[in-house]
Amino acid sequence: MRTLKFSRKSLGIPYAVFLVLFVALPLLVLVYYAFTNGQGQFSLANLTGFFTDPNTLGTLCYSFAIAFVTTAVCLLLAYPAAYFLATSNIRQKHVLLLLFIMPMWINFSLRITALKEILTLIEGNLALYPFFNAVAGMTYDFLPFMILPIYNTISRLDGSLIEAAKDLGANDLSAFIKITLPLSVPGIVSGVSMVFLPAMTNYVVLDMLYNSTYIMGSLIGSYFSAYNWHGGSMIALILLAIIILFTLLTRGMEDDGNTAKVGGALL
Amino acid sequence: MSRAGNSMSNYMRGGALLLTAAVSASCMSAVNVRAAEKKADEVVLRICNWEEYIDLGDWDEEETIDLESGDIIGVNPMIEDFEEWYRDTYGIDVRVEYSTFGTNEDLYNMLTLGDVYDLVCPSEYMFMKLISEDMLVPLSDGFFDPSDENNYYINGVSPYIKDIFDSHDINGKAWSSYAAGYMWGITGIVYNPDEVTHEEASTWRILDNPDFRRQITIKDNVRDSYFVAIGALKSDLLTSDAFVQAEDYKERLEDEMNDVSPEMIQKVQDYLQDVKDNAYSFETDSGKADMITGKVLANYQWSGDAVYTMDQAEEDDYYLNFAVPKESTNIYFDGWVMLRSGVEGHPEKQHAAEAFINFCSRPDNVVRNMYYIGYTSVIAGGEDDRVFEYLDWTYGAEEDEEEVTEYPVGYFFSGDAEDEDYVLTVPEEQLTRQLGAQYPSQETIARSSIMVYFDPQINDDINQMWINVRCFNIHDVPPAVWVFVIAAAVLLAALYVRNRQKQKLYGN
Repeated sequence: MRTLKFSRKSLGIPYAVFLVLFVALPLLVLVYYAFTNGQGQFSLANLTGFFTDPNTLGTLCYSFAIAFVTTAVCLLLAYPAAYFLATSNIRQKHVLLLLFIMPMWINFSLRITALKEILTLIEGNLALYPFFNAVAGMTYDFLPFMILPIYNTISRLDGSLIEAAKDLGANDLSAFIKITLPLSVPGIVSGVSMVFLPAMTNYVVLDMLYNSTYIMGSLIGSYFSAYNWHGGSMIALILLAIIILFTLLTRGMEDDGNTAKVGGALL
Repeated sequence: MSRAGNSMSNYMRGGALLLTAAVSASCMSAVNVRAAEKKADEVVLRICNWEEYIDLGDWDEEETIDLESGDIIGVNPMIEDFEEWYRDTYGIDVRVEYSTFGTNEDLYNMLTLGDVYDLVCPSEYMFMKLISEDMLVPLSDGFFDPSDENNYYINGVSPYIKDIFDSHDINGKAWSSYAAGYMWGITGIVYNPDEVTHEEASTWRILDNPDFRRQITIKDNVRDSYFVAIGALKSDLLTSDAFVQAEDYKERLEDEMNDVSPEMIQKVQDYLQDVKDNAYSFETDSGKADMITGKVLANYQWSGDAVYTMDQAEEDDYYLNFAVPKESTNIYFDGWVMLRSGVEGHPEKQHAAEAFINFCSRPDNVVRNMYYIGYTSVIAGGEDDRVFEYLDWTYGAEEDEEEVTEYPVGYFFSGDAEDEDYVLTVPEEQLTRQLGAQYPSQETIARSSIMVYFDPQINDDINQMWINVRCFNIHDVPPAVWVFVIAAAVLLAALYVRNRQKQKLYGN
């Protein structure tokens, strides 16, 4: 009887097809549009245009500012929560974790609409605090993405390292600063990369919370609705370059199981 | 409502369009299979219209519009009724493939990315663009033949609208040779009469009025904002007696409102930047809800959406008013046009497309659509009085009503403003409510201006102006922030270098 030969490699075919059709090809189209002008000729005007226009540069800064503050707030909220969750001995730990994750199961626009009403109650008139609203909305939206990786990293820490530190005379605080914090850097890095970049482009949050200033995502949209595919594609490409740069800089710091050395070295 | 588009669809715009390109390529084979399956002599008509811009039927019994000439009720979707009517009238099977778009720009992008439709319904500036780019097929002579009783459009279109479509052109081609009107309207301010006076709301300058700081929304749309800004900037000129009483007032008004000189574009940019700091927000679709829930006091709105907003608010016993700014108001038209890519070389499609326009122009269907979507049809009805009857049914004063006034709408129904057959007796308050928005008064119409299609170069300039308004200018970054950023960058770099050195130290 002939056995059906089915190598494990062929399991990857569906995804490879997907990758080519929906990732590689669109990317090529993007690059083509970014480096051509309306007449289809090669052009660097979109690139130079972006870096000489005070408005596009300003938008980049504004997006950075929102993303930076959002990430910082997320980190400050998420780290203690994740630390508490991972190290406490309470029994129903996973129920608590679920509570943190659960907002992700509710439709995004519904959540922001709810937040809008809450913020209106607090602030009276939403439109008076556009920057704060944007950060609040993003934080609400992205917090779980910060908690999860940090929780994972901390909960997998080898407890004996902390015991050893204490044996050698470290108190709780210095054990935390010298052992736990450095070892959780990979989780922080994953969390930051999952919050920072989306926060630069998620303009739906701004629209829904009445912040009328463009961020990178809305800027791309405005180029497209003005039929300027070339300028919009270039901005998308620049965002992509920023992501790649970020990934390169943090390479090796991600959670790869061999964390102690690299993470410890950073701090 | 449709002109506003659906906010989510706007958010998805960029992604959806890219996807459309990819998906339409991969669906090609599927479409061919379906084409082979279809019945041999069935005509397929591909229509693309605004979202929620046609009666979908399924009304409750109590929603029946009981006119004296008979009841009107939407039982089935208009599309299905058309398919049936077409079969009964012409003996030909037609199948309508109906889809929708969110903004004129979306429609244009869909067309240029290769979507094929036979009949679409863009606003006037967009069909002007399509005419100028030679993408349309003219309406046939048969369509304009008044002796054919099935030609409901030509027999029913308002003389006022017909005149506009005949007298406006682009590159020498009259609108009316390519486009048949569907709905029309004006722009104005919906406001809360408890907090804002009619006087304050009757000027575009309300948008930068510091008394209403952060309490007014404006449309997130470059053309609407541009029009408003010109109206506000030229307020003194536009309301001066010398200007208003000039013989060529109408032409001069249209010239002023379509001023696209570089100096004007610059001024508009500065003005809109002020508005951005004073308004509640630029909104695509949320303005109606925010008005109804009382988050804002006034809301710059298209007349059809204004009617919808006031209707909704009234259900909660909350009464809103509508004011048309004294400077000018933007009158707009959505019209049916046939695309070259769809109907050229397919006379049977063209016939079905024109029949569809006629079917939608049949007075009972006009009433159904108007009731369902809240906008105003271009159809007056001609010999058939049902549209006017519907107007009276909706707005006419009850017999015991005290403060009533006469409201002539002859300009629309017969082309004669003095026509005594077309005078409504309405409650006085309706002048600043739904009626004033849905069927603007003679005086309002007198100061209305069309906003024409700008040629591509000017269009680019205005779009750039709009982006400049919405972007944060890097020169506005406070110095303290720069210091902080540079310090943070230096710190990060230092950490990175140290990290590298340590790695070397540990032999990694």
